[in-house]
Amino acid sequence: MAHTDAHSSRLGRLLRGIALTAVVVFFLFPIVWIVMMSFQTNEQILRIPPRLVFEPTLINYKALISGKLVTAAGSLDLPFMRNLGNSVLLSAVSVLVSLVLGVPAAYAFARFRFRLGENIAFTLLSFRFAPPLLVLLPLSLYFQDLGLANTYTGLIWVYQLICLPLILWIVRGYFEDASPDVEHAYRVDGHSWWRAFTRIAIPLAGPGIAAAGLLAFIFAWNNFVFALILASADKQPVTVGALAFVTASGIQYGQIAAAIVLSILPTLALALYAQRWLVEGLSLGAVKG
Amino acid sequence: MTRETKGERPVHEKPRDLFDAFVAGRVGRRELLRRTAALGLGATAATTLLNAAQTRALAADYNWKAHQGTALKLLLNKHPYADAMIADIETFKNLTGMSVTWDIFPEDVYFDKVTAALSSRSSEYDAFMTGAYQTWQYGPAGWLVDLNEYIKGKSAPNYDWDGVLEGLRASTAWSGKPGDALGGPGAKQWCVPWGFELNNISYNQRIFEKVGVHVPKNLPDMLEVAAKITKDAGGPYGIGVRGSRSWATIHPGFLSGYTNYGGRDFEMQGGKLKAAMNSPQSKEFTKLWVKMIQDSGPKNWATYTWYQVGTDLGAGASGMIYDADILGYFMNGGDNKERGHLAYAAFAANPKESTPTANVWIWSLAMSNFSTKKDAAWDFIQWATGTDHDLFGARKMDFVKPVRTKVWEDPEFKQKIGSYPGYLQQYTETAPKAKIYFTPQPLFFNLTTDWAAALQRMVAKEVPVDEGLDKLAENINRQLKGAGLG
Repeated sequence: MAHTDAHSSRLGRLLRGIALTAVVVFFLFPIVWIVMMSFQTNEQILRIPPRLVFEPTLINYKALISGKLVTAAGSLDLPFMRNLGNSVLLSAVSVLVSLVLGVPAAYAFARFRFRLGENIAFTLLSFRFAPPLLVLLPLSLYFQDLGLANTYTGLIWVYQLICLPLILWIVRGYFEDASPDVEHAYRVDGHSWWRAFTRIAIPLAGPGIAAAGLLAFIFAWNNFVFALILASADKQPVTVGALAFVTASGIQYGQIAAAIVLSILPTLALALYAQRWLVEGLSLGAVKG
Repeated sequence: MTRETKGERPVHEKPRDLFDAFVAGRVGRRELLRRTAALGLGATAATTLLNAAQTRALAADYNWKAHQGTALKLLLNKHPYADAMIADIETFKNLTGMSVTWDIFPEDVYFDKVTAALSSRSSEYDAFMTGAYQTWQYGPAGWLVDLNEYIKGKSAPNYDWDGVLEGLRASTAWSGKPGDALGGPGAKQWCVPWGFELNNISYNQRIFEKVGVHVPKNLPDMLEVAAKITKDAGGPYGIGVRGSRSWATIHPGFLSGYTNYGGRDFEMQGGKLKAAMNSPQSKEFTKLWVKMIQDSGPKNWATYTWYQVGTDLGAGASGMIYDADILGYFMNGGDNKERGHLAYAAFAANPKESTPTANVWIWSLAMSNFSTKKDAAWDFIQWATGTDHDLFGARKMDFVKPVRTKVWEDPEFKQKIGSYPGYLQQYTETAPKAKIYFTPQPLFFNLTTDWAAALQRMVAKEVPVDEGLDKLAENINRQLKGAGLG
């Protein structure tokens, strides 16, 4: 009997292993393929039929990092690292500004009832409904008058349309889930409202804030159209910069793949770093009674 | 006794004289090279001196310094033509004393950027690259400057406007009235042609030899040749043409062949536009076109754009393409697998016609109506589209389809493109009738996209060709009526 059990559990483990491998291959295959492409030349990539075994080259990464691609057809300037820097700057500063503005606002909406409170919160959320192209043309007119066109400040301001509503609404939910009794008890001890907010409320909603911040960062990172319309070529993020490899004289598949690998690295690093809080943040809602 | 007192020029002026003589045409290229070497000048020094001489020659009869100190900003598409201009920009700066900066965007997003900048009345950009089709929207909206007054009244004497191919000058001018002929009476010059593309055949000689086929002479012949390649070449398919749901599917090979068969996009009836996509000529041509794609086109034809058509030719996945000649040109170099194997041929689709009727795409330069430095911007446009810069681009860079006849006659350019078999010949045969064959009207992009969608349905056998074209004409007439054009 015990023998049969051991046998069936071994079989179960094997089947589970096969199923897991199949799922992993299915989901990770495109990413693995991109990573492989990033180590090949265009000629190797376009071979018919494609091959799994190849001689890897670092030419694509070298070209991206040095900013110069030298081919038989001539030398090509690649401002990719600048694009990457722009993406990091725009996304990180936008999320920071949104956190500074959004977390206290979320707390206020969660804890206090005030006139037009719900209307204001909903108006902020409605920024997410508007198609960006609808607001971009009027915005670019105002930006020119205000001197904000083609500035990082202007772009970070517009990025609040992406980050602020997201952070506000997600974090508000976490503040609402945490019982106000703990804060009340702390305040009864003679602490100020501000201390209760920073010492009790924020740590309790910490995982939620981290999750919302990361999500806002990813949304900001993936944005394409705001910088395209409102800024010059030197302030474009990677999403626009990666298109530079699609040229009239051919598509540089190898560089596109290397650019994708480089551009997912910052988000991946951030996600891995914040993973601990993320899991807590995401499971907090799951055990809610 | 010093050299000067003997009436001789100082030593440093000798090379300068030599390059001035070359620019003035008194000394030939070979002679220039020989004497440059004799003077002990390196290549870099020679190029600098040549630029300086060109600057002096240009400056001789026009006040290029009128806007000295002005700062211009350009909006450019990432393209070999723009690269050629940037490589020569120091010449312009030296000539005029102006400073020039530019924003360069990939083509996928380029026109979104242009449209946003113009519609928001931004004064940031003074001049920009455009295609002629786009000016049908930008011009009548009041976003562009009519360049007629600049060409006629404010150009350098040696600008040589008439040296630009006639069909291209006409194709970039329009009155703004839907249905009016391009370049007709009252036409406004919305942009100045710069570099263009003809639609002809680029083919892989290696595959053609392997299969034992000749260059197709007309469309029925093309169907046979393409089918044989698909059957016998052992992998590659016969013919690459675009197929995505976009205006860009209609304008290259398709419209060139369609016109050769006598097809028109619209007819004018009582001052109103009427769809002509279901005419007998159109049906005859479209049936052959659809069959060609079904039998010998790429498997994912409905997703094919410029990039896929070109990539397949360069990688040896297709035997030939009926598309822009410069696309075939680029695929013959770089790190493409089939580099050195490609050749070019003019193509008249109709067996009853001997002259090709290639529809063209024209990269042009236009001036923003919101620029605050219009006269200075014109100086840039006339320099960039002038003979001297075009010669530089054609000789030294990939400015491979210049719009000026004089550049095509240049021996150095001829020698450079001589290694691309048939490239010069297809230009010579096609240029006389090369122009835009679309009827200008403001719904251009919407209606040609619908045209491409109809082609997709026919190729997918969702609808027979006759019925598909009748439905397309009906749909387009309805849209024209709705817009007050039909």
